[in-house]
Amino acid sequence: MIKLTIDGREVELERPVTVLEAAKRVGVTIPTLCYFEGLPNFGGCRLCLVEVERLPKLQTSCTLMASDGMVVRTETEQIRAARRAMLEFLLINHPLDCPYCDKAGECTLQDLVARYGPEAGRFAEGKRKHPESLDDPIIVRNMERCVLCTRCVRMCEDLQGAYAISVSGRGGHSLIEPFSGGRYDCEYCGNCLTVCPVGAIMSRLHRHSYRPWFVEREVETVCGYCGVGCSMVLQVREDSIVRTIPRFGLGLNNGLLCVRGRFGYDAVDGEGRLTTPLIRVEGRLEPVGWEEALAFVASRLGEIKDSHGGRAVGAIASGRCTNEDNYMLQKLMRFVIGSNNIDSAARFHYAPAEAFLESVFGQGITANLIPGIADSDGVFVTGGDPTAINPVLGLQVRAARRSGGKVIVLGPPGGLKRFVDHELVPMPYSDEVVLSAIVGGLMEAGRSSGENRAVEERLKELRLPSEEELSAAGIGPEALARAVDDLLKMTNPVVILGPEIMDGARASKRLFLVGAVAYLMNARIYLLSERPNYQGVMDMGCVPDLLPGGGPIGLEMLRDRIEAVLGLRVPEEGGLTLFEMVDEAERGGLRALYVMGEDLLFSLPDRARVQRALGRLDLLVVQDIYLTETAAMADVVLPAAAWSEKDGTFTNLERRVQLLRRGRYPRAGREDWRIIADIGGRLGMEKTYRSAEEVWEEVTHASPLHAGLGYSEIAGGGAVWPYHSEPLKGTEAGFAVQGLGELPGVEAPGGPYLMPERPLFHSGTLSRRSRALLSIHPEPYLVIPPSLSEELGVTDGGRVRVVGAKGTMVLKVRIDPDQREGTVLLSNTFEGANFAGLVGFTADPVTGCLTIEDNTVRLERVDDEAL
Amino acid sequence: MTVHELIRKVFFVEILKGLALTLSRLFTRPVTRRYPKEKRPAALGFRGLHALVRNPATGEAKCVGCGLCAAVCPSRCISIYTSEGPEHQKVVDRYEIEVLRCVFCSLCVEACPFGAVVLTPHYEYADYTREAFYMTKERLLENWDRFMGREGYEYFERFWNPKTSHFSTPRNQAVFGKDR
Repeated sequence: MIKLTIDGREVELERPVTVLEAAKRVGVTIPTLCYFEGLPNFGGCRLCLVEVERLPKLQTSCTLMASDGMVVRTETEQIRAARRAMLEFLLINHPLDCPYCDKAGECTLQDLVARYGPEAGRFAEGKRKHPESLDDPIIVRNMERCVLCTRCVRMCEDLQGAYAISVSGRGGHSLIEPFSGGRYDCEYCGNCLTVCPVGAIMSRLHRHSYRPWFVEREVETVCGYCGVGCSMVLQVREDSIVRTIPRFGLGLNNGLLCVRGRFGYDAVDGEGRLTTPLIRVEGRLEPVGWEEALAFVASRLGEIKDSHGGRAVGAIASGRCTNEDNYMLQKLMRFVIGSNNIDSAARFHYAPAEAFLESVFGQGITANLIPGIADSDGVFVTGGDPTAINPVLGLQVRAARRSGGKVIVLGPPGGLKRFVDHELVPMPYSDEVVLSAIVGGLMEAGRSSGENRAVEERLKELRLPSEEELSAAGIGPEALARAVDDLLKMTNPVVILGPEIMDGARASKRLFLVGAVAYLMNARIYLLSERPNYQGVMDMGCVPDLLPGGGPIGLEMLRDRIEAVLGLRVPEEGGLTLFEMVDEAERGGLRALYVMGEDLLFSLPDRARVQRALGRLDLLVVQDIYLTETAAMADVVLPAAAWSEKDGTFTNLERRVQLLRRGRYPRAGREDWRIIADIGGRLGMEKTYRSAEEVWEEVTHASPLHAGLGYSEIAGGGAVWPYHSEPLKGTEAGFAVQGLGELPGVEAPGGPYLMPERPLFHSGTLSRRSRALLSIHPEPYLVIPPSLSEELGVTDGGRVRVVGAKGTMVLKVRIDPDQREGTVLLSNTFEGANFAGLVGFTADPVTGCLTIEDNTVRLERVDDEAL
Repeated sequence: MTVHELIRKVFFVEILKGLALTLSRLFTRPVTRRYPKEKRPAALGFRGLHALVRNPATGEAKCVGCGLCAAVCPSRCISIYTSEGPEHQKVVDRYEIEVLRCVFCSLCVEACPFGAVVLTPHYEYADYTREAFYMTKERLLENWDRFMGREGYEYFERFWNPKTSHFSTPRNQAVFGKDR
């Protein structure tokens, strides 16, 4: 126990901390410029000087460890004089352009000068001049204002791990510069903006548009881009959002954000935002009033239900919509229309992966807390780059590595490139060979605990690869053995599972093997989620075979409970999945489809087939914020409210329910749940709702998972699964795994495989509406390995024609030396140049996930003259 | 009742005293001004209608949109909207004062680091509509021309003593290390 006195207050410390932190615990604030919680200490600004008895000189409290018997004073005349002198030195070069500087009002230097002086400087030499750097579209650097606290550099290196900026020059000529020169070539996380105490590094998005004291409201909400669910604060002036900022101490991201969260908030204000409902009249979409549109949808849905039965109607829920929206859509489908045909894009990867893993290992197997990753001593990543899909989760992996954990990546490491101990990049579509070998290695080491007999029984069937087979898959047996050795040393490991693990045939086997790795290592599993609310979509019952609460529809206890709460019947007949709905629509069995916040035509592969299927529908209703490709085909388009315009809840990938709060009123649309409830009311739904909270209240009664979980409790941020009630237990249902006994050879394809890129700067279709994100990543490109560029004779930026099984596109090329041989990448972001437009798909027979087919492509060089 | 009191009552002494004052005022100059025919000049620093100071060099408003006036305004009647101009400079798009909400405390004038806003001596702006009291940037500049004009600068410098000079760093600053 360390006892010391700070400003006359007694402090008792369990563990040794710095004097600055000790002072903070008793509420004594010591002014700082270079110190920042969470960053390594620097001791450069000399403002945190304190007086310690029996020490002859003033000490920097941020680097001085508290020791027993210390008597510290933080505000004496001597200290004030020292601080005043330090500030006077800083103001030798710091310009007094506060009236122009956007930081004024939240500038630490300004506050400190106001507090300690000096009133006037004594240096007449003139200030350092350096032109403001406006080379970057997002970040503006004004190095005249920089006080060289190096917070940004330490943030970039030690927390973000991007290593993009550094101090260059010496002495008075020092300045912060990205290694890439004027324009940044980094992850654009923008965390350097957060930590800059002065106006040296600032966002250009709101440049000169407001002053901090013009902000009228601050709304704590959750980011709407990915499944991590970072907390952020919307700053609102006159019903428009001026910026989004993270806040230290708030939410699981604790002050960090990624590029999409920080800069992508203008995606809701892009061009072409829907303003009014549209109805197709003689082949053209014509604007109509809300009443007319809702009455039309209700009457057509009613007619189709009466003439063809509920099974002829389907609905697509959305991982971008709140739990309330999805619950309401589910209620409309199941209880008003009487159809279990409800699914969402979570069907592609997330829902089947979770359902499969739960069927093997029990419910809640993927519900693990994100901050726990940083504390683990080993991370096994496969199936995608967490730093691009879920960037803030990816930072946790980097943090784990930094504190000594081992990171093993199966597949291209992407943003973890510099944080990997074992990089296992097998040939395309031979992950299962490597996974089998890893499982074999773990079993050999006697890691079977006997806890889950069913899994261990199945593992006996597993055919292990020989050394030749392993080498043929592109991994040397020694490299694998070393990786397995490190896996065995981990005591508190984590397995992170991305969507790409499900690409290709036998998804169930690979999932099972990853699950088995986690089981044998006793690891926690994290399932990466591309959308903010895939988990909520499942919890709300927007899956054909699950009811709200995530329980199977066959479970009588759950069904009775919901029927009792709602006073309505759950339909008997089983529902169709997303892929089955497309098939059924193509065959003519499905007559009407209600699509909420999803662009099927864009996100599903095999565009021609999806277009044909949607074209055969009698009624296609699309509810969205933009006129997407699917919406352009619809009979009725209903404008919805966007992420920052509504209240509700999101459930993130660790199953934490978090509150989404309205930052501003919708420019045009209505909340999704309200539109659906209005339609439901016209179809005979009796219950009416006044707010999202009332919808949620019904959810807490209907879903055993969310029982007793009110908004006030969620607001605390601790609504982590299992919330109050007992989760459903048991894995008695058994599970099927395909092809455990076989091992495919590595076939030579007819051309390179086209794989989906999941870029950091975009996530699906919403981000391409954001001007900020577009300025970073403005156009589609095909990532190719250098060998292929030589073969084709194209240079970086040249064009190639990509001939795929389902389409042809001319695309710009980006040569990436790290790109895996035999594969090319294309993201699914830009209209007319997207991954899904080139390939075919089927549904995996066991898990029901999306399986990409026919993705070998032919590349031809296109000379610019020919264009 | 004493005799003294009785005499005062019988002879209306109090009334006669009053009438004597009235009679004496008949021969002095009247204090009443015949407003609006006759106007009293405003005292130095009278806090009348608002104006934005025109920069004599450019002819534009001096205001840079720092927002300190809006920050200090106790009745929150100033709203400023700025944006980034073509040269990446700060441009004041709108500067608006809702005069009906103003309490004429003149804190905005004191807060302004550039001496860009002022309360003019003009006080005759009664009107019939609310719109007439909503001052836009253009109207505020017009107010300067009408009520302060050329002589306004001197008055402004002398009375309001804007803080601009306290802040400015020497114009001809040397570039650090280069053109020393």
